[in-house]
Amino acid sequence: MSEAIPLFDRPLWALSWLIWRVVPGRASTKMAGFSHTEQGSGLDMLVAVEQTERRDLRRKYYRHALDEFRHSRMFAQRARALATSWSRADAVLQDSGFIQSQGINDKQSLFEALDEIDFLAFVWVHEKQGARQFALYADLLSDDEDTALMFSKIAKDERFHIAYSRQELDRYAAKGQATEVRNAVLRVQGRRLWQGWLRFGHDLGAFMSGLWLGLLYLVFLGPFSIIARLTERVEGGLQAVEQDRTAVDRAHEMA
Amino acid sequence: MPDSPCWILGISALYHDSAAALLRDGEVVAAVQEERFTRIKHDASLPLRAAMWCLEHAGIGVDDLTHVVFYEKPLRKLERMVVSQVLTFPKSLKAFRVGALNHLGDRLWVGSRICKELGITPEKLLFCEHHLSHAASAFYGSGEPEAAVLVADGVGEWATTSIWHGGADGLTPMSEVRFPHSLGLTYSAFTAFLGFRVNNGEYKVMGMAPYGTPRFVEEVRQVVDGVEGGGFAVNLHRVTWHHSATDSYGPGFEALFGRPRHPDEPLDFSTAEGRRWADIAASIQHVTEALLLDLAVTAREQTGCEALCMAGGVALNSVANTHIAAKGPFDRVHVHPAAGDAGGAVGAAWWAWREVVGGNGCTGLRPDLGPRIQERHTQDLLDDLNIAWQRLGDDELIETVANDLAAGRVVGWVQGGAEWGPRALGFRSILADPRGPAQRDRVNATIKFRESFRPFAPAVPAERLADRFTAPAAATSLLPWMLAVVPVRDHAAVELGAVTHVDGSARVQAVHAETNPRFHALLHAFGEKTGTPVLLNTSFNLKGEPIVNTAVDALATFDRSGLDVLVLGNLRIEKPAR
Repeated sequence: MSEAIPLFDRPLWALSWLIWRVVPGRASTKMAGFSHTEQGSGLDMLVAVEQTERRDLRRKYYRHALDEFRHSRMFAQRARALATSWSRADAVLQDSGFIQSQGINDKQSLFEALDEIDFLAFVWVHEKQGARQFALYADLLSDDEDTALMFSKIAKDERFHIAYSRQELDRYAAKGQATEVRNAVLRVQGRRLWQGWLRFGHDLGAFMSGLWLGLLYLVFLGPFSIIARLTERVEGGLQAVEQDRTAVDRAHEMA
Repeated sequence: MPDSPCWILGISALYHDSAAALLRDGEVVAAVQEERFTRIKHDASLPLRAAMWCLEHAGIGVDDLTHVVFYEKPLRKLERMVVSQVLTFPKSLKAFRVGALNHLGDRLWVGSRICKELGITPEKLLFCEHHLSHAASAFYGSGEPEAAVLVADGVGEWATTSIWHGGADGLTPMSEVRFPHSLGLTYSAFTAFLGFRVNNGEYKVMGMAPYGTPRFVEEVRQVVDGVEGGGFAVNLHRVTWHHSATDSYGPGFEALFGRPRHPDEPLDFSTAEGRRWADIAASIQHVTEALLLDLAVTAREQTGCEALCMAGGVALNSVANTHIAAKGPFDRVHVHPAAGDAGGAVGAAWWAWREVVGGNGCTGLRPDLGPRIQERHTQDLLDDLNIAWQRLGDDELIETVANDLAAGRVVGWVQGGAEWGPRALGFRSILADPRGPAQRDRVNATIKFRESFRPFAPAVPAERLADRFTAPAAATSLLPWMLAVVPVRDHAAVELGAVTHVDGSARVQAVHAETNPRFHALLHAFGEKTGTPVLLNTSFNLKGEPIVNTAVDALATFDRSGLDVLVLGNLRIEKPAR
């Protein structure tokens, strides 16, 4: 472990080191996940370019968006290079649904959901966190030259993202909106914790539901399967359809 | 019938290609896929942004809607899932857990979610069956007073293939093939086997087929084959989709066809392995065409109609569509342009208009039903990004872009409303000179970043199509939508090297002056300069991304690719020499 890794991150470094050695392909899967995250960030930044009222910020947002798309491509390439065979990384790279959890909301994009100060605070907090995380993974994979080179290129861009978002927040603060800026940063940090908690709750819920559904399947569906196999026929070929189906009468029904 | 306009919003969602479509008294006034807004290809999420855009575009509010129609019956889907998994106990344990979680987490509550998110009362919400939505999208948009309707896809509630009779009384079901016997899922299993992504790479299999010979037809027929009495049956020992959440084929499949291809494995048709994969693609394409033709013949027998309307994801197989038009018993063949699940949004809305409201006439199916870019906003954007642009008058624009293309430049072309359906039809297109394979290779390598074997499509003014292409008469209505693959005339095959496939065919688009005057004029202008009124036309997107929607999407794609020129309405942007 490099001296540069902060004390606070060392347990995570050690845990990741262990997992990456125990679970084959974990590094590759992580790169695939980062690829989606960066793509999602790029999409958020493009919406900001389109919708911001701060026209002077458009160029920075646009450059930021293009950086994120480039990072996404770099991570995807590394994920493929690190995968030794058809792996979970490929599945993650192919799962476009993954991106939905990375900042693209149902009804609103991140920029639409936040005002300009909150958005800048979001960029600053998340870029800083991202840079810290990437530094940790770069250190973990320091024996892999290509990956280390990729992380160093990305780190340079991240420094620009952190710097411009902080600079803009400072400008707002200098114009008498220091309280708004402070509150925005606190809101973003709070939201980050809350979303982490929600993700944990969701994952735990999915795990528990999976267990219960598995039990339900084994206990209840087993006996039914014997009856069903005796009575149900799964025939191929064209089957006649009852002519008296009344789709209109059942228009309000889900069945 | 009420005096005020009847507004109906159709929604398809939660599997793939979610979309919203808005009707005003039966006329489609807006339709768009959610992916264009979220920028997630084949986005399956509830299309709230698409729905909101439709309402905003029409200048109405949610309260003005008479009905909102969802394109399938979620409870019947759950029933099918449970019955299938009971029948395959205990192999379906994982599929049951995944399927049940999906239903309990999302799909079963789609009705209440639509009401809550859109702010409508449950009385306004209707549910149309999946295949009925597809059938309505194909029949009501065709303009035919009476027609046979053939729907083929992966699976709806239970039906995977269905035949309908469309007439003055609406749509009447005649017969259907039920899950797990599915032509769409069979094609998707081969798609996965050949290393492409399911619900995305099927057209790659179709494009790969001409590189092979169908020497595996007998083996494919051991997976899926026609049966006495019409239709087809799948050998369920060879496939796994009826009990697996992740895989569609198993060891029985591999025993027939050998090792599957890894997605990142290069495709080189000069090697034995590459030829084997091409031969498998050719074989599944051959069998699919034969089975669809048999179904078309059965549809004719069951309905006695002279016209055929098709929808469902399988109807995006433009080679098979042309085969049916050329060899089938119908005088006219129509296919809904968004034949996959997206089209269900339009179909469900049309069904409600005709059969629930009792309205007459279903119109408005144009290619450019999606969002438009605003010139003033775009100018501001370009100025803010310090990007040099020039505004050209209409004639000057056509002249300049024709010169660009003739000089070998590749142009990103954004005009009017975004296309409805998966094809770029000259509204969100990448255009290039179609003469010689060099342009094809350049567009593939530096702009689209896609497999080199995949063909590009030509666009040609409709009145000049016969000069270079031979299309069956029954396929006429497919040509404006790029839904047919037709032979290139011998004398034009060399001339059109960038858009002629290895078997001498092309997925041609016939461009009409009435529906896309600017693109039509550009084709003629290019023809005057070069003697070839044809352009290479491919969708304006990068690999893995949806077609561009806004000006900034177009700009970001322009900047990340080898495009030389970008045209946004009347604004022309040239990439500085590097």
